[in-house]
Amino acid sequence: MSLKRINKELVDLGKDPPANCSAGPVGDDMFHWQATIMGPDDSPYAGGVFFLDIHFPADYPFKPPKVHFTTRIYHCNINSNGGICLDILKDQWSPALTISKVLLSICSLLTDPNPDDPLVPDIAQLLKTDRARHDSTAREWTSKYAM
Amino acid sequence: MSSSAEEDEYEYDYSDEEVGDDDSGMDWNPSAIASENPNAAPTMMYVHQKKGIRILPANELLPEMKRRLKDVTEILDISPAAAAVLLRAHNWSKEQLCEVFYADSEKILKKCGVNHRCNPKLPPKSSDDNCPICYDEMKVGTKMAMPCGHEFCLDCWHDFCVNAIKQEGPSCVYSTCPDASCTECLTEVEVETACPDYLQKFQTFQLRNFVQSNTLTRWCPGIGCERIACAPNASAMEQEGNVAHCDGCCTSFCLICGEEPHAPSGCKDLALWNEKCRNESETANWILANTKSCPKCASRIEKNQGCNHITCQRCKHDFCWICLQEWSTHGANTGGYYKCNKYDSGNSDTADQSDAAKAKRELDRYLHYYKRFHAHSEAQTFAKKQLNETENRMVRLQESSENAKWSDVEFLKTANEQLVECRRVLKYTYVYAYYLNSSAKMQKERFENHQEMLEKFTENLSELSEKPLDQMDRTEVVNTTRVVDRFMKNILQCVDEGMDIHL
Repeated sequence: MSLKRINKELVDLGKDPPANCSAGPVGDDMFHWQATIMGPDDSPYAGGVFFLDIHFPADYPFKPPKVHFTTRIYHCNINSNGGICLDILKDQWSPALTISKVLLSICSLLTDPNPDDPLVPDIAQLLKTDRARHDSTAREWTSKYAM
Repeated sequence: MSSSAEEDEYEYDYSDEEVGDDDSGMDWNPSAIASENPNAAPTMMYVHQKKGIRILPANELLPEMKRRLKDVTEILDISPAAAAVLLRAHNWSKEQLCEVFYADSEKILKKCGVNHRCNPKLPPKSSDDNCPICYDEMKVGTKMAMPCGHEFCLDCWHDFCVNAIKQEGPSCVYSTCPDASCTECLTEVEVETACPDYLQKFQTFQLRNFVQSNTLTRWCPGIGCERIACAPNASAMEQEGNVAHCDGCCTSFCLICGEEPHAPSGCKDLALWNEKCRNESETANWILANTKSCPKCASRIEKNQGCNHITCQRCKHDFCWICLQEWSTHGANTGGYYKCNKYDSGNSDTADQSDAAKAKRELDRYLHYYKRFHAHSEAQTFAKKQLNETENRMVRLQESSENAKWSDVEFLKTANEQLVECRRVLKYTYVYAYYLNSSAKMQKERFENHQEMLEKFTENLSELSEKPLDQMDRTEVVNTTRVVDRFMKNILQCVDEGMDIHL
């Protein structure tokens, strides 16, 4: 069941790729994918290419995929290990969601960080108090690690 | 010294009576199921069940749960499945539910995920005939939807329900429609259709939820156990140290927090401690790997028996597992002083007030207590294992000597049971000590003194009871068992009374 569904998602991604994202298996293992997200234009991550690692659990899609950034990124909901704080990757996961929808959600998280539920409190604090300085650090990191 | 007088403290009241018909609503008291024992006076026993606490099969509460469901179904004119979801969200209180329902029914139905179930208007069906989960084509008769109208194939519904019930356990009753944006709540109606083999499990979780909402009952934490403990009254649920003993699965647990009986440590301290151990466990585990090196020859040693007296297989060095010092400095026969329970912060430089040094001192302090907590916890597990094998040992011991009666070998079992209890109590003395106010020096010293004695004699008993059968000295074991029992009661009593009494 899991394998069939993952295969179908791969086919759909090829037919109708979501904007600014791509994803596919790393090697022969269909349960281990790599994805890329282009930094959205209206964000301080514009111009950067961010890589993500995706692991599908054996009971996918009834359990959420494990997704984390492998490219460093300055973002209050993404920590230094690449862990992402996103509800649909945790308790709000639904088997009707797909990798394509997950990647789009991550894209919109890049445009709209959520400082009220931060994974990195320092960054969230700066975002709330000094948006300009936050954005400039984010741009700096983007050109340093993602270009 | 004798413990026979307290034998009658065991009280496994059991009632087959059905729930009465009294309509007392929220004040309904499960203990009223059977008549109360008039002799239910507070006792001095700590590890055994308190009087008045009763163990019942959980399904004795089923009639009461069903009665409330039926009432709500009739009063609000909704389906039983919706009534169950709504009652669950309102602490199973009819009054609470009706109040909010009449204030704003639409809001409450939406919030609880039963809006579609109570207002069946099917949303337009999607033209897509593929299941949104497996992407396979759905043929007529192989699909199903909750009243919200989101259709999935029956196979996926089955997997979805099984996954929820198996993975999420008791919280599976809060599962919602597989559609990402839908909040309609899963009920037993769907479980019955999609995976009837799991219906009973789902219903048990529902009953468990009902039991939890009742302030006088606690579900037995024993694995797979379907019994509950009932407190005689509300004050019993506030009194620390109320221990229930399930006669079905032989699990003892604290009536208030549901954890293993944890005297002398309180429920709040235990919760803090558990939280701390969860947070620090990686550091602690990294530091405290499962093995230790022999202090003399440095070969790695795994402890697989309960006693802390270790003899290195390679160099025959005798040492203490806890402090790694020579064993000859321990125990009564050398007149040595058993120092293992004391944390001596003196050797860390208290003059250094930098944050890093403070953090290190705090970590050292925590590790001191955690190490000992952990060691006794492991020893408790070993002692339990040993207890399982005791019967075999008893049989062999009886066979080995002529004219020996079964009662002549029962001391072995008593000793072993005592050992398990002592390890458990010792374990929690370290939680208690960790949270003991450091300014209460006198108190602390006295407590540590008690702790030390208990530790010393427990080690003694542990060693005696592990001896090969041909070296078993019955009188010694019996006497040590009694002494240990005395010390255990002493330390618990001393904590209970604010440590104002002497040995």
